[in-house]
Amino acid sequence: MPLRRRLTIAFMLAVGVSAAALAVGSYFVVRHNLMSDSVASSERQARRNLAIAPTYLNEGTDQLLAAYERSTTGFLTAGIHRGRLFSSGPSAGVRQVPVGLQRLVARGELGYERKDIAGDHYLVVGGPVGQTTELYFFFSENGLRHDLALLRNILAGGVGILVLLAGFAGALLARQTLRPVGRASDAARSLAEGLLETRLPVDGRDEFGSWAQSFNEMAAALETKIADLSAAQARERRFTADVAHELRTPLTALVGEASLLAEHIDSMPPESRRPAELLVADVGRLRKLVEDLMEISRFDSGQESVHAETVDLGALARATVRARGWEERVRLEADEVELTSDSRRLERIVANLVGNAVEHGGKDVTVRVARDGAPFVEVSDRGPGIAPEHLPHLFERFYKADAARSGGGTGLGLAIAQENARLLGGRIEVWSEPGEGTRFTLRL
Amino acid sequence: MDEHVLLVEDDPSIREVASLGLEQAGFRVTAIGDGRDALDRFRQGPFDLVVLDVMLPSLDGLEVCRAIRRESQMPIVMLSARSELHDVVVGLELGADDYVTKPFELPELVARIKAVLRRSTAGPPEGAISAGGLEIDPAGFSVRKGGEDVALTATEFRLLLELARRPKQVFTRELLLELVWNYDYLGDSRLVDVAVQRLRGKIEDDPAQPKLIQTVRGVGYRFGQG
Repeated sequence: MPLRRRLTIAFMLAVGVSAAALAVGSYFVVRHNLMSDSVASSERQARRNLAIAPTYLNEGTDQLLAAYERSTTGFLTAGIHRGRLFSSGPSAGVRQVPVGLQRLVARGELGYERKDIAGDHYLVVGGPVGQTTELYFFFSENGLRHDLALLRNILAGGVGILVLLAGFAGALLARQTLRPVGRASDAARSLAEGLLETRLPVDGRDEFGSWAQSFNEMAAALETKIADLSAAQARERRFTADVAHELRTPLTALVGEASLLAEHIDSMPPESRRPAELLVADVGRLRKLVEDLMEISRFDSGQESVHAETVDLGALARATVRARGWEERVRLEADEVELTSDSRRLERIVANLVGNAVEHGGKDVTVRVARDGAPFVEVSDRGPGIAPEHLPHLFERFYKADAARSGGGTGLGLAIAQENARLLGGRIEVWSEPGEGTRFTLRL
Repeated sequence: MDEHVLLVEDDPSIREVASLGLEQAGFRVTAIGDGRDALDRFRQGPFDLVVLDVMLPSLDGLEVCRAIRRESQMPIVMLSARSELHDVVVGLELGADDYVTKPFELPELVARIKAVLRRSTAGPPEGAISAGGLEIDPAGFSVRKGGEDVALTATEFRLLLELARRPKQVFTRELLLELVWNYDYLGDSRLVDVAVQRLRGKIEDDPAQPKLIQTVRGVGYRFGQG
């Protein structure tokens, strides 16, 4: 159940219980007082009645009843006079007098008891007159009971209204109270979405206020931390870019020197020939590594731009394979697939994937270009495959699944290919099964 | 061949090895490490081609390129790092004929230089072409528009000639790269686009509304009305 509803209900319960307790308490106090008053006034009347009784009794019970009738109203009379029963009306009679009261009166005492007769409420007060007479007066308490019932209803209604009001007030209060919570959850969400400058308004000095302050401190700390981290990362990337850049000039000289050297290897004395060959090959490796590093750092700094034109993906794949002399080792199933993209980047991706397959996959390299909704290039081989634990890291920089596989690569080829694919709004997927082969798919 | 190349490159090692490589390829090389000196030396001439690094002390390669183009249509090959490719575009817009990215292998540089030089040597003798108010004389390397000489670089001239020889045929950028720049595989198509822009600037009445060299969207270019 949402907190808001629970709070509302708790509030209603608290108000309801206390209001009900108050109502019940006051009802009983009022009831007790009214009943006591009723007894007292009835007793007073009864004593007066008893006091004047001997005077009239000598003239008979009818005279007595008549006198009572005259003197006052509001009670019925019944009695036993010298063993004979009499009463002022059919609804009141000695038989209706509770036995306990009769016994009390028989012992010569004044007593009272409440008794319901035919749906009417009576307070029966009885007392002796001399030795031979017992008189019972039936005072109606219908009015009293009616008042009490009215009071009960009013109190119950009052409690009900209070509970309803408490419900409204509780809901309102809960909403008011929980508004900061809602705001905080919105803020946390936008923080999670990367809006690190999100802050909560700190209003009031209540717990929510101090909480909002803590939240803001946390967000500020987070923002600083992330800013520090990305500054560090930027520095790191800057450094990589600078290193690659600074390496370029000596590397250009090296590459030139090596290519001059390469032309004269045959005329070298045998003992320096092999070192020269190695030197030339290693300069080539270094060149590739520095070029890849520079390319990666260009991606990192967001300097790369797409040069879009109409490209036939199938023709591009064919040209790529032909240009690199892989025709003998690669089977092509290339449809004509036209799209608007950057042919230079596509060529790099395809060359990288096919190059990997030719180098590592060995046999049965197949390049398939087609369209299944979106254009794709699929490069598959039946080589040794890649172990599953390496698959998720394949596109990471310098990740080498297998020291033996790293061969002549720089460890950046797939990372660059993936960056290129991403820049073109596509991605490269990999499937591999050890023993079965490997399949890279460029989807655009 | 014994053509004379002016090599402008500030790094001594690159300068020396490139000089060596070019000399071994049969060129005469004058190597200079500074932009201002290079311009002075260029004016003393004569050279057949300039190889120009973009980043140079005192006067950068682009400024040198601009200065040379102001006085001459001599072939220029730019040297540039891949990370400075936007400079290359500026260089091409200033009239450089081609570029090579660092690090480069010497055979690559030699091949580029030879390709540019081949453009400025006459091909098989053929008759003058007259089209769209232009008089193109392949043998004399001259273009006249309305009786007046138009100064074109070798690259611009070769581009115009290839297009004008077969009017109304649509040339893809790849084909033009092959015919004009001698790239057999995936050259930079910006070479074509920039050269077409420059050529239009020189021969069109209104370069913004070209009539002679028209763009065929998504394919390439063609000469004359379709």
